[in-house]
Amino acid sequence: MRRLRALRPVEVDERGLEVVSFCGHCAMQPAPARHAPPSRVCGHCGLGLVLQATIDLAPRHDEPFLVIDTTLSVCAVSAGAEALLDIDETQAVNKHVADFLVPADANAPGAENLLALLVEVASGCGESRTTIVRPRQEFGVRFKARIGPCGPPHAALLVLS
Amino acid sequence: MRTLKTSEAAALLNVSPNTLRAWERRFGYPKPQRSAGRHRLYTHGEVAALRDALQQGLSISSAVSRAREALSTDTHTLVGALAGFELDRADSAMESALALRSVERSVEEVLLLSLDELGERYGTDSAPWAFAARWADGWLRRAQRLAPPPVRRLAILVGDATRNELDPDALAVRAFELFCGRSGARVMALPVGGVSGLSDVVESLSPDAVVIAGGHLPDDDVALWAYRVRAAAGPLPMALYRRSQHGAKVRTTGTRILLDTPFGAHRQLLALIDDRQATRVQEVAALSVLEGDRERRKVQA
Repeated sequence: MRRLRALRPVEVDERGLEVVSFCGHCAMQPAPARHAPPSRVCGHCGLGLVLQATIDLAPRHDEPFLVIDTTLSVCAVSAGAEALLDIDETQAVNKHVADFLVPADANAPGAENLLALLVEVASGCGESRTTIVRPRQEFGVRFKARIGPCGPPHAALLVLS
Repeated sequence: MRTLKTSEAAALLNVSPNTLRAWERRFGYPKPQRSAGRHRLYTHGEVAALRDALQQGLSISSAVSRAREALSTDTHTLVGALAGFELDRADSAMESALALRSVERSVEEVLLLSLDELGERYGTDSAPWAFAARWADGWLRRAQRLAPPPVRRLAILVGDATRNELDPDALAVRAFELFCGRSGARVMALPVGGVSGLSDVVESLSPDAVVIAGGHLPDDDVALWAYRVRAAAGPLPMALYRRSQHGAKVRTTGTRILLDTPFGAHRQLLALIDDRQATRVQEVAALSVLEGDRERRKVQA
């Protein structure tokens, strides 16, 4: 019985890939729920909802990220992204993602596909990809961005690193 | 309107009371009222709308935004009803608003906002505005009549300097009177234009504060009216409401300028009166101590 205690349930998505839960604001993984039903609100900061993403895509605690829906509207901005991009989540929500982030090299092939990729991923049918983005109106700064599906409900997760 | 205590609202949302208070600070939602004992009271409609939005949301911000949208449907319905000259539907829209909010918030967030939108859309000299303003004026007066009787020994005299019920400021003034009345004060509104027999009214009411509301009548008329009131009642706290003044006080007279929102203005005025009454109590206490000392010295002598 002692060995069984070390086991943990593994959550998988529709494609059978292992997923982890994280807070949409502080990126912390939620503690195992002691009481049923577990709350969707993060128990650490209380300011984000618990989302899921594949283990390779999910943000680490110090990685800033944004959550975008199929209409390309910003739905969540992590505390790290608020500081990095100097925006406030309450002001950024429902605004177009291109108001904050654009492809780093507009002439690079496939750069115009950033928005298409976000829509595809947000609708739940795309694969995780990596691209380079920059803050809008800033030219000397570039971020490597991991983009992939998250949820529920279906949305695109854009993790900056 | 059903209200919930902090613990009840937190349980409905499956969060801790601290989280609920953190949301109030960060998102301004849900926005509680305060009970007589200064405890938070949440409207069930707001909390339920947020609970539904959280189930389908990606963040608290987006859920709050969605919950606010759900609640703003009352405003859209009222604007539609008044723009379509449908009185029954306008009354129903206010009934629905009252099911989710307090009277104060229904008036500020639904009735006055809808009228603002209609004023911007058609202009305040249009027939649709006249129709909507008359309906709103009637609704506010009806609500005033239905307000509970005064429970505080507090009287407020309002000098109405608006043009008539079609003046855009008039509705805010009616709302201000309604909120003061609902706070337990006795409110009397008189047109600033009429000064004859004013002293009899002032003596009978013995107001604790005077508010001059509306910006239509010229300063000379207002000054004459205020002079007559002061002559009859003595020095009283005076405040201006919606008279296109800026700042907190009039520099020359020290008259307080109230906030533009009826709720904020009525809270400011009540605080002003409470401060004055507390000062008066302190003065009386200080006087009685002095008199006591004098008596003691006399006895010792």
